[in-house]
Amino acid sequence: MRRAIRLVRVYVERFLLSWLAGWSFVVTLVAEQVVAPLIGLAVWTAALPGQHLAPYYVALVVVQLATASYENHTLSNRIYGGELSDDLLRPHPVVFEPLGQNLALRLWHVAVGVPLVVGVAPLAGASFTPADVALAAPALVLAAALRFLYTFTLALAAFWTERAHGIVGFGGTLVFLLGGDAAPVRLLPGPLRPLGEALPFRAMHAFPAEIAAGGLTHSEVLLGYGWQAVWLALFALLAATVWQAGLRRYTAVGA
Amino acid sequence: MTASFALSTQRALAHRANLAAEILLTATSVAAGLATLGIVYDHTAALAGWPPAEATVLLGAFFVVSGLLRAFVEPNLSFFAGKVRDGQFDDLLLLPAPSWFLASLGTCEPLALAESLLGAGTIAAGLARLPRGPSLGGVLAGGALLLAGLAIAWAARVLLASLAFWAPGIEPSVLYGSLWQLGRYPIGIYSPLLRRLLTSLVPVAFITTVPARALTRGADPRTLATALAFALGAVALTRLVWAAGLRRYTSATS
Repeated sequence: MRRAIRLVRVYVERFLLSWLAGWSFVVTLVAEQVVAPLIGLAVWTAALPGQHLAPYYVALVVVQLATASYENHTLSNRIYGGELSDDLLRPHPVVFEPLGQNLALRLWHVAVGVPLVVGVAPLAGASFTPADVALAAPALVLAAALRFLYTFTLALAAFWTERAHGIVGFGGTLVFLLGGDAAPVRLLPGPLRPLGEALPFRAMHAFPAEIAAGGLTHSEVLLGYGWQAVWLALFALLAATVWQAGLRRYTAVGA
Repeated sequence: MTASFALSTQRALAHRANLAAEILLTATSVAAGLATLGIVYDHTAALAGWPPAEATVLLGAFFVVSGLLRAFVEPNLSFFAGKVRDGQFDDLLLLPAPSWFLASLGTCEPLALAESLLGAGTIAAGLARLPRGPSLGGVLAGGALLLAGLAIAWAARVLLASLAFWAPGIEPSVLYGSLWQLGRYPIGIYSPLLRRLLTSLVPVAFITTVPARALTRGADPRTLATALAFALGAVALTRLVWAAGLRRYTSATS
């Protein structure tokens, strides 16, 4: 009887740990995504205590979770490992699988991270009006699409170089610097500000957060949506072009 | 370890395109960090009591330690739990060297040292902008505290990796990388609770803020003694936890 109890206890421990493993990995991914905006909030609260930046950065955390992209892991590694050859034989565009993985990961990020954000936001003094959130929602969808195309295009560097992870990391650095994490775009130094507003990084990151935080006029919102549409079209074209060029270079790995 | 470093360096230098790419990407990351500081100090004269020159030294210290960890520790402990699960760890146990050493420092990626070099340059640039140059005592204390910080960072990383002996499904690599970013700025910018956590539980403060403070404001013997004791304690704890984990470990393969 004692042996039976010990064996059952071992199985309980094993399956508890295996379920915990899956959850803990999602939690660590969420933690990785929220650290940059939260550090930004701490820095700017210390630097400019009079400016109420909490709504912006709390909204930016939600944007970060909803636009997280890992195509350097899901796509580049398949190119390096030769598994892309199997994907090319399937009767549908190859992009469907990384897109599906991307959406699934983002759903997990949002499911785990957003309840925490909603709980913590009042403590940070962040509040949002329903009108601003409704106006920001389409911008978030466009930002998510743009971020996927951006990271997907960078990940295609795997066709040419072993440094795809580094290149995607470089792309992430640009988003951090010019996309509203390091500083809200409106706080960029004079000459950089119009550049920051026009470049794609704000469109794929800060813009939805700026709308949700209530800091933009109607004309600024319309202009921002215009930039999102332009960059979305450009990156869709770029992704398709780079994909075709990469495919011509690709040779299978193995027998 | 010297032989491993020499071999890895030879291999890395054989691929000049990779070397150029690594230097470029690292330089971009360092430049982005400095640019961020520049944007912050465009709006304020001091960040949590740290003027621009001192914050630059702190950021440089962050890059120095980051580069060393990426060069010597991360290549070994990144996704360590997976190596335990699939049996790669068993090979290490058969080798005639301490397993904690081989598992945490056995291989290296020398190209990551580019970040440390750029970090050292950043420290020098920050020190050059101080109203008064650093004292000899401050430089020596800062160096000793950086080494202590490195030991603490190594110990924290190994302790996290040791979780694999009790819960092989849990992979803390990503979490460690996230928490490490908190050391880029003076800990004074964080809330009091977080500051206490960053000094005791996740001692990022000892790794960057404390050495930078010694370099820029001079040595404080009590802080130096505390940091060194903390480093020794962390290393001793790591050895104990590792040994306890090994006693639990049974091979992943038959």
